[in-house]
Amino acid sequence: MTGHPAIEVSGVSRWYGNVVAVNDVTFAVQPGVTGLLGPNGAGKSTLLHMMAGFLRPSSGDVRILGESTWGRPELYRRVGIVLEREAVYGGLTGYEFVRVNARLHGLDNPHEATMRAIELVDLGAAKDRRTGTYSKGMKQRIKIAAALVHDPAVLLLDEPFNGADPRQRLHLMDLLRQMAREGRAVMFSSHILEEMERLGDGVLVIVAGRLAASGDFRAIRRLMTDRPHEFLVESTDNRVLAQALLGDLAVSGASLEGDRLTVRTDDFTRFTEQLPRIAQAARVTVTGLSPLDESLESVFEYLVAR
Amino acid sequence: MIPVIFGLTLRQLVRQRRTLLLVLLAVLPVLLALLFRFTAEDVTPARFAANGLFAGFIVNLVLPLTALVVGTAALGQEIEDGTVVYLLGKPLPRWMIVIAKVAAAWLVTAAVVVSCVVASGLIVLTGEEGYGLVLAFVVAVLAGSLTYSALFVGLSIRFGRALIIGLAYVFVWEALVSLFIPGVRFLSVRAYTLGVADAVTDAPARIFEASLAPGPAALLLTVLTVLITAYAIRRLNAYEVSERV
Repeated sequence: MTGHPAIEVSGVSRWYGNVVAVNDVTFAVQPGVTGLLGPNGAGKSTLLHMMAGFLRPSSGDVRILGESTWGRPELYRRVGIVLEREAVYGGLTGYEFVRVNARLHGLDNPHEATMRAIELVDLGAAKDRRTGTYSKGMKQRIKIAAALVHDPAVLLLDEPFNGADPRQRLHLMDLLRQMAREGRAVMFSSHILEEMERLGDGVLVIVAGRLAASGDFRAIRRLMTDRPHEFLVESTDNRVLAQALLGDLAVSGASLEGDRLTVRTDDFTRFTEQLPRIAQAARVTVTGLSPLDESLESVFEYLVAR
Repeated sequence: MIPVIFGLTLRQLVRQRRTLLLVLLAVLPVLLALLFRFTAEDVTPARFAANGLFAGFIVNLVLPLTALVVGTAALGQEIEDGTVVYLLGKPLPRWMIVIAKVAAAWLVTAAVVVSCVVASGLIVLTGEEGYGLVLAFVVAVLAGSLTYSALFVGLSIRFGRALIIGLAYVFVWEALVSLFIPGVRFLSVRAYTLGVADAVTDAPARIFEASLAPGPAALLLTVLTVLITAYAIRRLNAYEVSERV
């Protein structure tokens, strides 16, 4: 390798008129799998497009393997890109589609490279079918084959698992892990936490155009789990249960409005362990427990506020 | 790499349903020629071929319409459906993409329009005094279709609604405005095309005469093609792929 980070984003912003899509984002990524996590509309795609050299940053610089990505077509010899949009040349067969990509890269043996890439995504049986007849998941895989055909050092994928069924999803995850093991930098975006958990060694959390958190997925997951949680508790006697819960360290607040008991905790694990014991000691039966703020967006909002 | 993009584009263009419609449009002058051959008695065949058929129908209608549909689709279709990223995400200078696209649009347009000129011209002029009109208009539409192709490929890079803007150029500017403002001929691919035909044919003025002299017509055609192509390359170099689906 060159000594440069595989991907380096320095003070990058991108705005459309008055709308800021990406706001002063800085990070560096080394080989391995890195996930770009964030809710829809957070700026993940804009960031990936800038990494791919398809969008010019309004300010800052995006470098791949030490080179600025905007206006450098030569860089595509070492970069593979899969965008979210489903578009493929519908009139071509899977084989023809990947082969055209191989030829556009100027590869010496486009046939061999095409066959290798198609086998990697497990589409050998469908390679002679027109891509226009492919399912969404197959289109996604043939796009990945086209992005891998020139054996790139850096792979950028925007929501690569969209439309893939669970088996294909696992297969693609294995493939991306394998790419990373071979020394490549694989960056993928997703708004699904579980995909990050299964795949991302490192995670960059993007919210409202800003980098909200970055680092090891497990640390970020812990951060997400340890944040204050709110629950709606239903029991046979909410008033007695509220009084009993307020005496526990895990509970930072409880409010009773009419018959509705809302409990706030700063220690998720302890609260879930203690609740049955406290209820039993107070001779109250808990009939329902539901989280009030478990959407991914609320988790992201918390991370941004920190 | 140009042949790869050229071949891919040709394949896409030929498979489009609207290209088939253009072939049907190109059949119309042939039907007109047959109609003339079997019915007209008091019009000179060369005059009809030059003014009614070639200049009036093919250069006014078939050529710009074919070039417009093909030229705006050659790259515009890929920009619209997102497949353009497979070209832009390759280690290719962008000028190659523009040249290949213009060349493919030119070939398809020229194939349709030249066949139309040759077939209808032969029907009207076989056995008649032809003044080299068929050859003249073949050369003229070859030149005109190159400029139109460059123009419409360029428009499709610059504008999302290139087809509508192109239609306005062809039918409002070239066809309508030129009727009232003679100076428009200096900014009209149609007028340049007719000027080139005038340069090649040996027909006397009573048979065919273009509004623009052959010299300026050929010069303007060349200059415009080069300028538009350079502009298209510049636009594609600065082109940003939107992430909006």
